[in-house]
Amino acid sequence: MFGWLKKKNSASTAKDRLTIAIMSDRDNNIFPFMDKMKEEIIEVVKKYIDVKAIEIKKEVDGDLEALSIDVKLKKNI
Amino acid sequence: MGIVLAVISGKGGVGKTTTTANVGLGIAMNGKKCVVVDFDIGQRNLDMILGLENRVVYDIIQVMDEEVGLKQALIKSKMDDNLYFLAASQTKDKTVLDSKKIKKLIDSLSDEFEFVILDAPAGIESGYEHTIEFADSAIIVVNPEVSSIRDADRAIGILDSKSQKVKDGSEVKKYLIINRINAEMVQSGEMLASEDILDILSIPLIGKIPEDKGIVDASNQGKPIILDKKSPAGQAYRRISTRLCGEIVDLMDIESVKSGFLTKIKGIFQ
Repeated sequence: MFGWLKKKNSASTAKDRLTIAIMSDRDNNIFPFMDKMKEEIIEVVKKYIDVKAIEIKKEVDGDLEALSIDVKLKKNI
Repeated sequence: MGIVLAVISGKGGVGKTTTTANVGLGIAMNGKKCVVVDFDIGQRNLDMILGLENRVVYDIIQVMDEEVGLKQALIKSKMDDNLYFLAASQTKDKTVLDSKKIKKLIDSLSDEFEFVILDAPAGIESGYEHTIEFADSAIIVVNPEVSSIRDADRAIGILDSKSQKVKDGSEVKKYLIINRINAEMVQSGEMLASEDILDILSIPLIGKIPEDKGIVDASNQGKPIILDKKSPAGQAYRRISTRLCGEIVDLMDIESVKSGFLTKIKGIFQ
């Protein structure tokens, strides 16, 4: 009874969803030079090893922010 | 040199042009010489909100192309002697914008005026980038609603990477306006509260504007709501304009519900 009088709490759902969506938006857009940097890193590494792809991710751990660079090789060496 | 202030939002329809008109007029009412510029090339609207559509002869593109002088194109508002307006072009599209010409125009405007307020187009495309390029500061207008807030965050991201001030190693000042707040919905948990929005966007708040039916009426007549001393939104715009002029005005709590009949009834059952 009186279910229709209950507080809807969609605002907190909105906040949670926005926080996550915006965090991922920001990571994708924080370094506009990312594509060019990737290309250049591939060029450098290629001189020595065959590279398939490079992935750069921003990692946040408390106050610490780091860029992790994953170099995927073409074949097992 | 005057202050160059861009009014941005990311998403369209959140009250950007209404804010430009009201804040521009409000600053002028504070005794500062102010020009509002419509940067929404191809979709001129600020002239309507200011009630100046019949007085537009020349537009911003003609000034930038040096077809006419700046003085000829500037329209002086009858609502306040300190307020001037420069119209967007309605026939051209935003691809005609050119950084060098924009810089020249903005420099001459900021020589002449204490405040230069640029109404950005919606979206985050080239027209938007050109509007923020030479801005000292930006007003970000959001509604308490997910798509507006997300789009605003993208627009802020572009502001922080593409503006000349940032490229020069300095910072663009940011001011958040939360528009169309419905106090009852905030109280019942159906609308994001301003603290939540501030948590998410983390930029300083310069004002909150309540939802106000008078806004439509004001647009219909081409008379910005700030002229209506009784209107809650008009009062909010007055406070914001005074803050932008450097005075300290306390933030009003517009999110607490005035105890109406319906609220009291609901209160009994809760």
